[in-house]
Amino acid sequence: MAFAMRVKVPPNSANLAEARHRTFDFFRTACRAIPSIMDIYNLYDVVNPSQLRSTIAAEIRKNAHISNPKVIDMLLFKGMEELSNITEHAKQRHHIIGQYVVGNHGLVQDVASKDEDLSPFLKNFYKSNYF
Amino acid sequence: MGLGLLASRALRSSSSSRVFLSTSPRYNTLVRTIVSTPELHKPEAAAAEAPAEPDLPKRTPVAGARVHFPNPDDVIEVFVDGYPVKIPKGMTVLQACSVAGVDIPRFCYHDRLSIAGNCRMCLVEVEKSPKPVASCAMPALPGMKIKTDTPIAKKAREGVMEFLLMNHPLDCPICDQGGECDLQDQSMAFGSDRGRFTETKRSVVDKNLGPLVKTVMTRCIQCTRCVRFASEIAGVQDLGMLGRGSGEEIGTYVEKLMTSELSGNVIDICPVGALTSKPFAFKARNWELKGTESIDVTDAVGSNIRIDSRGPEVMRIVPRLNEDINEEWISDKTRFCYDGLKRQRLSDPMIRGADGRFQPVSWRDALAVVAEVIHQVKPEEIVGVAGKLSDAESMILLKDFLNKMGSNNIWCEGNGKNTDADLRSGYLLNSSISGLEKADCFLLVGTQPRVEAAMVNARIRKTVRATQAKVGYVGPATDFNYDHQHLGTGPETLAAIAEGTHPFSSALASAKNPAVIVGAGIFEREDKDAIFSVLQSLAAKNENLIRPDWNGLNVLLLNAAQAAALDLGLVPESDNAIESAKFVYLMGADDVNLDNLPKDAFVVYQGHHGDSGVYRANVILPSAVFSEKEGIYANTEGCAQQTVPAVPTVGDAREDWKIIRALSEVSGVRLPYDSISAVRSRIRTVAPNLLNLDEREPAAFSISLKPESPKKVSKSPFGVTVENFYMTDAITRASKIMAQCSAVLTKK
Ligand code: SF4
Ligand code: FES
Repeated sequence: MAFAMRVKVPPNSANLAEARHRTFDFFRTACRAIPSIMDIYNLYDVVNPSQLRSTIAAEIRKNAHISNPKVIDMLLFKGMEELSNITEHAKQRHHIIGQYVVGNHGLVQDVASKDEDLSPFLKNFYKSNYF
Repeated sequence: MGLGLLASRALRSSSSSRVFLSTSPRYNTLVRTIVSTPELHKPEAAAAEAPAEPDLPKRTPVAGARVHFPNPDDVIEVFVDGYPVKIPKGMTVLQACSVAGVDIPRFCYHDRLSIAGNCRMCLVEVEKSPKPVASCAMPALPGMKIKTDTPIAKKAREGVMEFLLMNHPLDCPICDQGGECDLQDQSMAFGSDRGRFTETKRSVVDKNLGPLVKTVMTRCIQCTRCVRFASEIAGVQDLGMLGRGSGEEIGTYVEKLMTSELSGNVIDICPVGALTSKPFAFKARNWELKGTESIDVTDAVGSNIRIDSRGPEVMRIVPRLNEDINEEWISDKTRFCYDGLKRQRLSDPMIRGADGRFQPVSWRDALAVVAEVIHQVKPEEIVGVAGKLSDAESMILLKDFLNKMGSNNIWCEGNGKNTDADLRSGYLLNSSISGLEKADCFLLVGTQPRVEAAMVNARIRKTVRATQAKVGYVGPATDFNYDHQHLGTGPETLAAIAEGTHPFSSALASAKNPAVIVGAGIFEREDKDAIFSVLQSLAAKNENLIRPDWNGLNVLLLNAAQAAALDLGLVPESDNAIESAKFVYLMGADDVNLDNLPKDAFVVYQGHHGDSGVYRANVILPSAVFSEKEGIYANTEGCAQQTVPAVPTVGDAREDWKIIRALSEVSGVRLPYDSISAVRSRIRTVAPNLLNLDEREPAAFSISLKPESPKKVSKSPFGVTVENFYMTDAITRASKIMAQCSAVLTKK
């Protein structure tokens, strides 16, 4: 199988600056892959590229507090593996939608800011029928 | 090998089998001692060996059988396996045994059918009779000593089993009855452990009985239960026995489908797999199914059913015993509508876009849109209609919600305009369904019970068969499966009967317990007040109609939601609310006429099926069907019952009351009910009878409390209310099986 992006294990980053540089590199690669991801998973009616871009950024920012270059390298490796899985169509549409479009919090559009003054009943109601 | 050994094997398996319930350990040991051959040839010896023990442990009657002694003089005592029981005269030996707690194996005998006595499986030994007797057909006589466990009885059963299995295909692995088959169970308990049959088996051509009942006639053991059911209970002479000897077959004489609305019940009564359910064929095994005891909502009878489900899917619906409502039968619509539960379902909230197409949206958005619109219309332009299948919880919430919005135009479809909901006796079947058996003269007014409420019709037929009760019918020509007199087609015939100028009025007047049954189709008529006041005057003339111990003035409702809706006071404030409405909330209402609705009105459809209500809707809120929710329904006789969720809801659907509760909060008029018990305590304040589950709450008597109506009855004849028995609501209209039935079985 001639995969477009083979994941190679790169040598360790020498210092934090290099790890940081690689992270930006990875972000750019991922962003460049977005159009083809939209295409192969037919995501046009559920999401637009900028939303996906911000999802990727958010995923990376989740680990913003990490300062150990080795850990960053490991996380980068995992990210690249995930990206290649996605671009090689090793996943299916609902994986992408579930992980990157809908997210962990149910429908993206459901997570609005006006949630605070809702009664517990209504909050549960929006989540599921069973509570 | 000795025959005795064979018998003893049968004994051993029997003591642990399901069919052969023996409760006392002592009784078992007694059974096991009788194994040697000599006793087989000398029944007296066997009897001598088992001395009658004076203090046998108390036995519980089979299936809670109870004896009722109508006349104390008619009590006789018999001995079952040495245990004395008191039974009324006229009971059969088999019934006496079941009172004594001994279940006799049987194939042809059925409590609710006549006695045929042709399978011989129920043979027992009776002291002093030379041969074993068929207990189902033998009346018990005083002092009879019945022995159900002697080697003779066992040998007889084994012999019968051997003959039955001779021509029975041993195809249990591909038979749908497998696992719930009487023949299978009883051959395990009483059959021989090996076959001696080497010839070829006979085979019988399968009959086509229509889209509901699948036949594999080679499996038939000629018990004739189905024939007796068809002619006695269902009242169609479709099935019969052809040929004789080994050429005996069950069939329809000529190529014909079984055209009864109760035909599905032959599936339950057939003790083998000869008659099975066609839609259920090869779908599931009965031991994989989870049974949920619920009630039916496809008509106003509220038949008790068991919903058998596997995972998230309803696999079949079978009846549950309820002597007061459906006995042990259900109509075909109840039994086979279940495939409609998974077709055409609404699974996501949707909003109609500018292009007229529905867009799936989130609950949050859908409710926000509805809440915004409802605040833009005037309170008196808001209208709410509850559908045929609505439960009491959602109806009270709908009423409370719209009342808080300032509107009081809420009703339940089928209840017509300004129906009087003040007196429960004005809309209930006051005699009660089982009480109809006491009636000796029926007057059916504008109702076709056979299609409107098949189980009520079965009761009337039972009464007519048992007591030759007179039946008079006023309404359009229709099908009855019992003797009746067609008196006329319009209200003027009814007026004539009330005035006493009609020949039938004398029959009504001389009857001990007359029952007048009025169809709920009258609710939709213009002259309904006039008709009801004619009925009032009829009741005033015939004092036997309404007395403290008998209320014979009945209304036969059509839909499951009707009675509860009237109990909760869902009656519209104005007559032509629809014409001036700007906001219509349809809660599962598919049969309201929306032609007069203004073009710019906003319609919310909360429902479970993409049925006719959806065509005009602007917003769709998906809800749960009766098999997915807990809800209270009151049936036509006023008995409140509750459905129990059997399967999870589909997609993003929610229970009805939760949707309205959520919507009320989004609209800023929050209803304070957060759980179903809170809703029920609200119901308690309005209609406490709805919380008396499984108990019929009779209506208080009312003798001419209503004012005389000034209007005259119109000349127009009564109409047909239910055009197609098989398709009456959203669920049945979505069902493929019901569509097949109406294509094949409804008479054109
Ligand atoms: S088809 Fe079933 S119910 Fe009918 S006679 Fe045969 S075994 Fe009995
Ligand atoms: S049950 Fe008695 S003969 Fe069939």
